Amino acid sequence: MWLLQRVTAAFLVLVLAFHFFLLHFYHHAFEITFAGTQTRMQDIGYFATMWLFLVTATFHGVNGVYNALVNQGISGTPKTAVKAILGLAGLLLVAQGTRVALYMNGFLA
Amino acid sequence: MSQSYNRGLVEDFSRWKEFSAGMWAWIFHKFTGWVLIGYLFTHIAVLSTAIEASSASSSAISEGTDVYSTTLTLLESTFVVRLLEVGLLAVAVFHILNGIRLLLVDLGIGLESQDKTFYASLVLTGAIIVASVPTFMAGLGGA
Amino acid sequence: MSTQVPESETEAETETEPAGESAQDRRMAKKAAKREYRDSQKKAEEEIRAAEESVHLKVFRYDPEVEDKQEPRFDDFYVPYTKGMTVLDALMYARDHYDSSLTFRHSCRQAVCGSDAMFVNGRQRLCCKTQLSELAEPVRIEPLPHQDVVKDLVVDMEHFYDQMHAVEPYFQSEDVPTEEQRQSRENREKIKMSTRCIWCGACMSSCNIAAGDNEYLGPAAINKAYRFYMDEREDEEELKEHRLRILEQEHGVWRCQTQFSCTEVCPKDIPLTEHIQELKREAVKNNLKFW
Repeated sequence: MWLLQRVTAAFLVLVLAFHFFLLHFYHHAFEITFAGTQTRMQDIGYFATMWLFLVTATFHGVNGVYNALVNQGISGTPKTAVKAILGLAGLLLVAQGTRVALYMNGFLA
Repeated sequence: MSQSYNRGLVEDFSRWKEFSAGMWAWIFHKFTGWVLIGYLFTHIAVLSTAIEASSASSSAISEGTDVYSTTLTLLESTFVVRLLEVGLLAVAVFHILNGIRLLLVDLGIGLESQDKTFYASLVLTGAIIVASVPTFMAGLGGA
Repeated sequence: MSTQVPESETEAETETEPAGESAQDRRMAKKAAKREYRDSQKKAEEEIRAAEESVHLKVFRYDPEVEDKQEPRFDDFYVPYTKGMTVLDALMYARDHYDSSLTFRHSCRQAVCGSDAMFVNGRQRLCCKTQLSELAEPVRIEPLPHQDVVKDLVVDMEHFYDQMHAVEPYFQSEDVPTEEQRQSRENREKIKMSTRCIWCGACMSSCNIAAGDNEYLGPAAINKAYRFYMDEREDEEELKEHRLRILEQEHGVWRCQTQFSCTEVCPKDIPLTEHIQELKREAVKNNLKFW
């Protein structure tokens, strides 16, 4: 688990930097249109990277939050509850994100 | 917690002047982490306008009048959002740089100079933010 | 010595009294005690005047059994400074000359017993090892944070000891060789620093994670485990596995967030975080083996 957090961290360092660079420096945030997004997402490589980005970021973030709470000392029932809620929230986020990505890609319409 | 009388925790924020570099790193990393995960959820929510946009007419899409494009353009035209974006950049850059520092520590590199690397990551974050502000603020006031 | 009670003339007086305690005896004894106390205070004031400088101490006081001290407070003591004086010297002076109810642990006064770890000027230090000359005045002395205060500067160390015992800090080899158990120079070098722990508790009290999470083993315990895990004289695989299993529980090595406070405050300069990191890597390698 610890290792997975580190591995996802390393991956995210690169992909997040790439994402930021592309959307704020190469393109500009205020120039984003649906058309532009569509074009980018139709490239299968870009789409795959973005989807992996979504999954790793969600995992890294949710796992991070869970560990931060354990460090602060939650235990027993609150802990089990938080674990369940975080897990569910994470899954929902990935599901919704995947859905959005597929609409952007044109796979779903 | 094991306190018969609460003298205030060591990391009670009123004693912040006594904090060590490693402690600040831990606090900031946690704080930026929470901000980023909060942003992630918000981001996906905003991007969800793409679902509706994908079913808009092709002329609307090419003109950029679909709900996705209009939402984004509207957000980007406000100063507050631009400011928040700079903030987001700061948070993300710090989390990345300190994260790299932590990854190195986990590999056993740089344990002796761990406080110096923390200050370096702070300085670098500041430098990157300052350098990026013009780009981020470009196009305000109706593009 | 500063702990010796100054001589007074009462001895001569009591000798002339008839044998057996009387009210007069008790009254005289009480008066004598008061006089001694006044004298020692006076002595202190003289010494302060004589000394070139005095040091201002602010000491945390708390006593659940005394009405006056049920609300924690800080007492001020002015202690004459002599060259090379440590915080422990100052505390002992204050106790002997100003307030004999000032309570704190101390023993060897040479940084090997670990009794007098306290929170001095915002940092965990050993009092016998800390020179007054390197501290800013007023010198704030408080008991170790994140632990129950029993009285004044004494904290309850039971939780710390529990965590230390939880890692089974003893050799467990079943098959011992018939001649001596040999250890190579390199192996000794490797564990040398981890053997220096004096169980003072400074590291655990400086760790924010240990503060929040009561079940965390803590840097001292993990270091102890490191000392045994890495010792080649205990080389049975199952023992190593057993030790690792204790360490890789949820509240073992994984709770360490490399805050480094433990390494910074350790009075024996043990690289605690480094040892914890090594054990994390060991645990990961061990787990990957079974894929």
